[in-house]
Amino acid sequence: MTSRRGLLRGGLGVATLGLGGCATWADPPQTQALAAAWPAGVPPRVELREVPFVPQTPLHCGPASLAMALGHVGIAVDADELGRQVFLPARGGTLQLELLAGARRQGALATRVPGRLAALVQELAAGHAVVVFLNLGLALNPVWHYAVLVGHDRDGREFVLRSGPVERDLFRWRTFELTWARGGHWAVVVLPPGRLPVSASEDEAVLAAVGFERAAPPAAARRAYEAVLARWPGSLTARLGLGNTQHAAGNLPGAAQAFEQAARQHDSAAAWNNLARVRAALGEAEAAREAARRAVARATLAEPQWLAPARATLAAVGG
Amino acid sequence: MTTLFRRLVATAVATSLLAATLPLHAQTAADSGLIRTEQLLPPAAPQGLQGDQARLMATLDRADLAQRLQERGVSIDELRARVAALTDAEAAELMARIDEAPAGSDVLGLLFTVFIILLVTDILGFTKVFPFTRSVR
Repeated sequence: MTSRRGLLRGGLGVATLGLGGCATWADPPQTQALAAAWPAGVPPRVELREVPFVPQTPLHCGPASLAMALGHVGIAVDADELGRQVFLPARGGTLQLELLAGARRQGALATRVPGRLAALVQELAAGHAVVVFLNLGLALNPVWHYAVLVGHDRDGREFVLRSGPVERDLFRWRTFELTWARGGHWAVVVLPPGRLPVSASEDEAVLAAVGFERAAPPAAARRAYEAVLARWPGSLTARLGLGNTQHAAGNLPGAAQAFEQAARQHDSAAAWNNLARVRAALGEAEAAREAARRAVARATLAEPQWLAPARATLAAVGG
Repeated sequence: MTTLFRRLVATAVATSLLAATLPLHAQTAADSGLIRTEQLLPPAAPQGLQGDQARLMATLDRADLAQRLQERGVSIDELRARVAALTDAEAAELMARIDEAPAGSDVLGLLFTVFIILLVTDILGFTKVFPFTRSVR
């Protein structure tokens, strides 16, 4: 075995001499960038050994990867059960959107993180395992695969992944980048509500929370919005979500407070509309009419998509 | 004609399955005239489709999506929960791309020639199909 591999390497060595000037042999851009500028505050070596290993059964790398990521944040779940929730038999695999939805159904948010190697090592340094989507093959013959990134080694220029049947699969940075790029640089961090990936953008954090609201109990969804607002106090969507989840939980005064803050902070027709409805439910008729008039005025001026619901609200509250 | 009939029946079945698709609190929100959080996400509803109309379209889309999932082997018990966990935008995207979106699985069923090519590219470090390879650089 060793000698055959040596022979192969020898042969390839000769082949690479011919490829010497070929641009594709150079390290891919992010590998170069990571080697040139290491992100501040990230230790040279991280391995999250406590991430459980769930070896995949045939075709089930999606459920297995999700089970590992969930297990790491304390949500123990059976990979077969997850398979029923996310595996698509006719496609012989798991689609990315359904993986996100599967995390929600288990009480966790799957948030996309930026498609940069630097973001991945920052997440590892924060103790977050990252579910990545790779094309292990070539563009012409794709081999789509989910795996869980659990470690990195700056000096060895390697990543450690839980992948398929292998508990510690070592990927060179360049190989990882090439396969990851062919998978669309897709990476998500799976966390319980209240926690956020360190590298996620506001848009992605909001998207994850809104998706979570669909599948989660209102109290859990509220914690997700609170976490977004703690980092991005100016998020209108999260502020509206805070009100909607409190309304769903039957906390009308809390909902009114959130909607009022959203309305005053953003002069949003949607927020005025919801404030009017909640004030009416609280029996504050005059304040409800005032909010409904603000909703119609704002929608007329700048947010035509809310004009119809705002007028309906104004009519409903007796304006 | 038969196809049309089957499609109608399937859609009817899927729609009845999905009658209670929305989470309870989302239904409450709709009944109460509140604008749902996900309605704030771009892209907003198509022009001319607002409020009840948009909601009706989204419901029909979900029924269609459930039917497609069922045709692709998802068990009936799972349909409702799988569709309900998606936002309207995600449900629409999934319906449009259910047969093209990449599905992560593993290395089964490679042709032999492809096997050899990938073995070489693995060793070169361009790909990583086989767990036993280790790239030369």
